[in-house]
Amino acid sequence: MIRRLLRSRGMVKFRRNRLALFASGVIGLYAAIFVAIIGMEIYDGIAQAVGGEAKFSLREGTRIRVLPRQTPGFLESQTPSERYNDIRWHHQRMERIFDRDLESMDDPWVQAFNELDLAERKLQRAELGEILARWEAFDEAFLVLDDLYLERDDMLDLVGSIRDEIADLRGDLRGAEASEAEEIRGEIAALEEELAPEVEYLAEVEPEFFAQEEIARGALLELMPMPTGWEGVKYGFRTFLGSDVSGRSIACRAFYSIKVAFQIGFVVAGISVLIGTVLGAAGAFYAGWVDAIVMWLVTTLSSVPYLVLLVVLAYMFTGSTLFDNPREYPELQLVKLYTAMGLAFWIGTARVIRGEVMKIKELEYVQAATAIGFGRVYILLRHVVPNTAHIMFINFSLLFIGAIKSEVILSFLGLGVSGQPSWGTMISLAKDDLSNYFFWEIGSASFLLFVLVLAFNIVSDALQDAFDPRHVS
Amino acid sequence: MTDHGMTMTKARPEHAGGEPVLSVRHLTTSFRTDAGSVTAVDDVSFDLMQGETLGIVGESGCGKTVTSKSIMRLLPDHVTTYGRETEVMFEGVNLARASARHMRSVRGDKIAMIFQEPMTSLNPVFTIGWQLDEALKYHTDLGRRERRDRGIEMLRLVEIPNPEERYKEYPHQLSGGMRQRVMIAIALCCEPDVLIADEPTTALDVTIQAQILDLMNGLKEKLSTAIMLITHDLGVVAQVCDRVMVMYAGRVIEEGPVIEIFHRAQHPYTKALLESIPKRGNKTRGKKLATIPGIVPSLTNLPPGCRFEDRCPFSDGTRCRTEEPALEQGPDDRPVRCHYPLGSDRERPARVTVSAEPTAQEAQD
Repeated sequence: MIRRLLRSRGMVKFRRNRLALFASGVIGLYAAIFVAIIGMEIYDGIAQAVGGEAKFSLREGTRIRVLPRQTPGFLESQTPSERYNDIRWHHQRMERIFDRDLESMDDPWVQAFNELDLAERKLQRAELGEILARWEAFDEAFLVLDDLYLERDDMLDLVGSIRDEIADLRGDLRGAEASEAEEIRGEIAALEEELAPEVEYLAEVEPEFFAQEEIARGALLELMPMPTGWEGVKYGFRTFLGSDVSGRSIACRAFYSIKVAFQIGFVVAGISVLIGTVLGAAGAFYAGWVDAIVMWLVTTLSSVPYLVLLVVLAYMFTGSTLFDNPREYPELQLVKLYTAMGLAFWIGTARVIRGEVMKIKELEYVQAATAIGFGRVYILLRHVVPNTAHIMFINFSLLFIGAIKSEVILSFLGLGVSGQPSWGTMISLAKDDLSNYFFWEIGSASFLLFVLVLAFNIVSDALQDAFDPRHVS
Repeated sequence: MTDHGMTMTKARPEHAGGEPVLSVRHLTTSFRTDAGSVTAVDDVSFDLMQGETLGIVGESGCGKTVTSKSIMRLLPDHVTTYGRETEVMFEGVNLARASARHMRSVRGDKIAMIFQEPMTSLNPVFTIGWQLDEALKYHTDLGRRERRDRGIEMLRLVEIPNPEERYKEYPHQLSGGMRQRVMIAIALCCEPDVLIADEPTTALDVTIQAQILDLMNGLKEKLSTAIMLITHDLGVVAQVCDRVMVMYAGRVIEEGPVIEIFHRAQHPYTKALLESIPKRGNKTRGKKLATIPGIVPSLTNLPPGCRFEDRCPFSDGTRCRTEEPALEQGPDDRPVRCHYPLGSDRERPARVTVSAEPTAQEAQD
């Protein structure tokens, strides 16, 4: 059927549309990522089932810490105090490890140091003595940095408060009378005099602080060097969009969400088109009571908003060890989404298919098929339904994107995906930090979603132009 | 066209003592509608002999197509009822009462059908080969290879050039005439005993029409299939039919061998039909083409008398209006449904008295 479709006139028309071809390429790219992720997960699943070790652990990769919290990605900048906080975060978690009695451990690498791993970025493999020496150096550098930071912070506070005062006085000056003005001017002069040495001092402390920051950073790199080679590429990918509130890789989460989105899109669109085609075609073809039942279902279900349906289903599944256990069965957690959207989305397809089949069943080739002696079911399945393939095609692509968009909305509301990342949960998590110019979490999720939806809309539109009989000239 | 066709007409086969392949008795088909029951075909009886071509002629809405679809039981079940005495005897089974399962085994295998519109009679999403193969698969137990060979052979038989290539093509790649040939190939691939052709050439242009009719004639001889040809084109009838049945408003009004019908029509309607064919020659030069005034009466509101009465130039205005004529042997020894059949001089002038203008007559009443 697909092969025949490819050679049809509509397909030729579709292939002439450059934009649609480009959009198909984009979708292809997404699909390739989806297939790759699914493939790696299946590989891991099989490996674990036979008692081996997971090689890729992609879902794990979206959960682990790779950076301090909310580290910026490219195009985002950090204030000096944020930079200081990152170094302090590194220092704190190392302190916890190095405070232990490392020398009495049989293998401190396994027993203690692996806790420090940030994905590919690991503690420098060296002799324990060497490591401890480096730690000493980092610790020392950090303590100096800490002092400088506090000093700088105090100075900044002080300078800031004096400047505020001066600004207030200048404000008073504007509406003041001549006698008062003289007095105020005197006060301003005194404050400015007071400010000058402080500013001077700050100008001394600040470069010192930045220099010390570099030293501490260098010491940290000695201790935990950036991975190089392939590992470095992987780590670079993990960190190029920064990290979220829990220090997880935004890039990993955003790209892993493609899998979740496609999964939901495929399953929901598949279920909907299947149910819609079967019921719509049966209703139109057999007419009578079959049609009455189908139409009753259509009108009844279309009057139930699927959000309500989803809330009911979520409530039904709550506490279930299989369907409400996102830690262990993140795939089954999606069942309630499939069910709710599947029940809601087939209606549109059923309506369109029903109309088309009503038209087709009156055509002469259906009568001709009867005249050849075929049974009713056979004619419906082999002669009528294949002629609705273009509608199934268009509906599938529309529902696919509809399901992905709905997933984002539902996850944003907290009704959707949990236990694995999705664009909806990412946007939901990021919404509070948008005001801090921390945009990659919401940005990457929205961008990937936007590009996918746009590409799909272009392709659906081109498909409609090419295959819908009302548009075919 | 007519004259040309007459010369081509084959000699009528001797079927006086032969067994009919298909025997239809008192076929009455009614539809349930919102306006009540409508009888589209009323008490139609005929026999179809082996190797014979029976033409069913009449204008639009006279029940020709319903007759053929009733035989095949292709009408929608939930609105169609058949008369109590209806008998469609085929191989000893009354098809009007047969099970759906039996009908499936008869359709396509024993009785095949060709439709009027070749453009929509083939499924657009499957290849010609697939559709031929499908029919063969359903009705025979040939292997894949044999079915393919047989399919290509059928395409060759219906004179399609490059059958191997065409076998792989889709309907939209073929012209209307080619598609009709494919339809004929599909209909004939299981060697049916009866072929019902429902206006097979109406949608085709005249040259293609002649080719298709020649083809059907040739195939009939080769495969000795009985053909029931439904048409409103008397030229087609002249070209291929052995026997003709003329229908009007759901009733058979005249029946007989094609030559006799053409030369000695007994019913005024048949006569009028024949006169409305354009002819060449001095007699008709400069004259307007004869037409039949009025339209076929509505089936929901049939007159009590002869159904052709209000259009008939020979109506007597009394008996014709109140009493419906029965299908009786006419003066030419052929069945005709008329109180005053044409055909012999002594009876004819007796009833041309009242009016040749039925509408004016009505206005006076």
